[in-house]
Amino acid sequence: MIKTKSQIAIDIIAKVGKWLFIAFFLFMTLVPIIWLIITSFKSNFEYETEPLGLPKVWQWSNYAKALSMSGLPRLFLNSVIVAVCTTALNLIVSAMGGFALARENFKAREGILSLLLAGVLIPIIAFMVPYFSIATKLKLYDSLLILIIVYAAINIPVSLFLIYGFMSDIPKELEEAAVIDGCSFSQRFTRVVFPLTKPGLVTAGTLVFIYCWNEFTYAMLLTSSVKSRTLQLGIRFFKGQFVVDYTSMLAAIVLTMIPTIFVYIFLHDKIISGMTAGAVKG
Amino acid sequence: MKKLLTVCLIIALAVPALVFAQGSGEAKSQEIVLKWPSFWVGADTKAAPITELVNQFNEAHAGSIKVEIEENPDTDGYRDKLNAQIAAGIVPDIFILNVDPTTLQFFEGDLLMDFTEDLKGDWGNGFLDGTLNAVTVDKQTKAIPYEMAYTPIWYNTAILKAAGVDKIPETMDEFWAMCDAVKAAGYIPTVQMTGGTNAWTSMIWYSHLCAALGGPDVWQKDFATDPVFVQAAELLNRMYQDGNTSKDAIGAGPGDAGGHYLAGEAAAFSNGPWYIARVKNEAPAVYDATEIATAPGINYSGAQTGYLLSALAAANTTDPARRAAVVEFMKWMTTGENAKTVSEAAGSILAVKADITSTDKIQTQFFQEVADASFVVETFSAKFPVDVVAEFGQALAKMAQGKATPEQFVAQIASVM
Amino acid sequence: MRNKNWKQICLFLLPALLLYAVFFIYPLFYVFITSFTQWNGIGSMKFIGFKNFTDLFANETFRISLKNNFIWSFALGFIQIPLATIMALVLARKPKGWKVYRTVFFLPNVISQVALAMMWTAIYNADGGILNSLLAAVGLESLTRNWLGDMGTALGAVIVQQLFYIGYFMVVILASRMGIPESYYEAAEIDGANVWQQEIHISLPNILPILITSVTLAMAYGMRHFESTFLMTNGGPAHATSVLGIMLYQNLGALKYGVGNAIGATLIVLGGVLIMTIRWLLNKKSQKMMG
Repeated sequence: MIKTKSQIAIDIIAKVGKWLFIAFFLFMTLVPIIWLIITSFKSNFEYETEPLGLPKVWQWSNYAKALSMSGLPRLFLNSVIVAVCTTALNLIVSAMGGFALARENFKAREGILSLLLAGVLIPIIAFMVPYFSIATKLKLYDSLLILIIVYAAINIPVSLFLIYGFMSDIPKELEEAAVIDGCSFSQRFTRVVFPLTKPGLVTAGTLVFIYCWNEFTYAMLLTSSVKSRTLQLGIRFFKGQFVVDYTSMLAAIVLTMIPTIFVYIFLHDKIISGMTAGAVKG
Repeated sequence: MKKLLTVCLIIALAVPALVFAQGSGEAKSQEIVLKWPSFWVGADTKAAPITELVNQFNEAHAGSIKVEIEENPDTDGYRDKLNAQIAAGIVPDIFILNVDPTTLQFFEGDLLMDFTEDLKGDWGNGFLDGTLNAVTVDKQTKAIPYEMAYTPIWYNTAILKAAGVDKIPETMDEFWAMCDAVKAAGYIPTVQMTGGTNAWTSMIWYSHLCAALGGPDVWQKDFATDPVFVQAAELLNRMYQDGNTSKDAIGAGPGDAGGHYLAGEAAAFSNGPWYIARVKNEAPAVYDATEIATAPGINYSGAQTGYLLSALAAANTTDPARRAAVVEFMKWMTTGENAKTVSEAAGSILAVKADITSTDKIQTQFFQEVADASFVVETFSAKFPVDVVAEFGQALAKMAQGKATPEQFVAQIASVM
Repeated sequence: MRNKNWKQICLFLLPALLLYAVFFIYPLFYVFITSFTQWNGIGSMKFIGFKNFTDLFANETFRISLKNNFIWSFALGFIQIPLATIMALVLARKPKGWKVYRTVFFLPNVISQVALAMMWTAIYNADGGILNSLLAAVGLESLTRNWLGDMGTALGAVIVQQLFYIGYFMVVILASRMGIPESYYEAAEIDGANVWQQEIHISLPNILPILITSVTLAMAYGMRHFESTFLMTNGGPAHATSVLGIMLYQNLGALKYGVGNAIGATLIVLGGVLIMTIRWLLNKKSQKMMG
């Protein structure tokens, strides 16, 4: 096909537009990261008086302070356990529910979907009192298990909803073919739908993992000792009643970010690109 | 699929199993264990001396009483957690009570231990005047006064000198003259802020102005109708206009506000003794130039603002041994000797009469100012519930932008009361 | 008619619904019941009927907050999601370095909101903030202002910084887009369809369910929005940026559980109505679009 002049012009504009678009968002997202890293090397005086400037002397001591946070290895281990177990529990439960909702038609379906939707809307701070009651009644206060269960439950609406969306995407014909081949209900899940929604599952899993990693309110509410606390509580040790050690806190934030970035890059990127390479052959 | 279902089943079975395992694991022993969730941990200046005191206490009572500090950094998070715990009907063995009308509601019913009888002897005489009153509701004292907050005005005398002002203003006329001189010299006259949870610095200024206008009983007056509060609002509003404060004051938080003083840009500031260490470590020149004073007098002069910041409270119990253990611990925390230790190590001023010899120049001035004050008035934040205090900052932002008059400012706050 | 697989359906839904019942339905009961009471969390609850609700609707701050929540919802659903969609479609065509971009765009979701809020507060600051310096540098001195302190600009300033973080939904949409078989596009290419046509006729219909899900989620996040506003302005100045989440939090902090939970209940009900309506409209539209 021979392109007319105007088409060529449109192509050029599209190309320039595309790169400008990417560049703009790269700028908007890299700025905070660069700011965060630079500021984590400043003194509090520099941060408070010139929050956007460069440090005169790079304060490595902020990192030394962050690393000397009491119980750091334990907090880190706990964060890993909670994030991994929560993600697994949440994904299993949400994938099963999502499958039933997306691939079957039944009376209560819309009702259940709406109910779950209400869960997405809930301002989770409203639940502090009941969650504390539940935790103490189950005798699970101050345990990793309660964090795992609560985080998994809190994320059900979002995960289930996302997975539901991904599962609705799959053409009906694929499953119908499988049924003809003699697949049972659960085999349709394990052999057809589950593998096809792996990108969705990994995406939902990433979001759950990050939620667990960054959650503070319930970690604070439901635990009281270092044996069951997560890194986010460690970060708050720099926040005194009237005086905050901002820059050491930022150094601690940078350190705690690193594992999540790795999880994202390796798990998400590798799994998703691995999968999409050999994905659905329609 | 079967694998997945098995995993789910295992989880479903494991949860109750773990529950029972934990439930039956509680060992019974003679030792009384008191859990104390505390935010005086981590970076807090009182963390080290208090931990030391608790360790000494535990050593002295080995085998009979053990106090365990549960580290709960972040005061806002601490408060949220405590509220949720109490609403769920579970009170921590020992906890820190930030004293204000909101938290004094915990005194209702019989959730908290009543110390009224215990305090009648020598123990009660060891506290600063008025502090026991602050934690007494309906003649019942259900918390032990612990830490005081005094919030005088801090002046950077180097800036005053540069502006040709040779003495700290004692009247409002002198104060406005000082502001003009400081402006002319290129500095910021006062530090103000409407942000954060309570518009802290401006809220303190307002408290000073109310005290200077209304005297020692200013908070007994009716906020909605007494003209004193409108007059104070007019003066506070003037501090926001004509370059009397920084350009970012509306919406500014404590970090921005403190930054202006630390940077040596602002002449007058207000904060408590906990800020001394920060100024000393980060801005030594400002530290050297700082002088502590009372706010300018109006109808009354020489007033200081201060209040009981925090108290120690405990869960009520029917077990006399447990009760005795709590009282024993409270007494230990508030001996003159121990108060002196904490005060000197942390730079705080405790609610206990103690013979403190401060080595710090500004802290010494704090003690002097408090002792010399003609009267001490609580701050607005100590006198009103937290939602009213939050409204203060919102109403102030409106007034400072010229969108509300001082009368409307007072009315907006009163509407929340 | 009963679905013949109903037993299995129940079994599959059971774990999710069980957790949901304990951690959502039971607390929801608590929220709704207390919303009809006056309760400070200490004494016994006093039932006062709809008083909390009538008081709220007469309260100016509440009305501002509700309006702000709707603005947040629409801004996230209809500005952030389209931006995220465009980015996902662009990246799906694998421009040079696309994997790096995909990671970078997602990073703000990994950074704690505390740090992001600290930075944006500094950028918007009236006294030496970057935004004012930039405006002054290009001769727009007249536009400089106290962005977060000015009642007219504070809400916009808080929303705009959040809109740029498209990574969360971009990842979701991209995952859906990458699931579309390449062969569809190859076939379209042979038929002479250009990139625009391919995106409109292949990509969009295929990612539509996820787009609707994303819009729904984004709008729900707008309704329950709390954190960045809390950290940057705490609802100020003069309630200009207040949202229901902030009012709820402040009332719980003031031990006004009845009022606080009435705000929560209103948020859930009104948010539910809003989102159901939008979903219904989008579904109707999409059915038309799909043929």
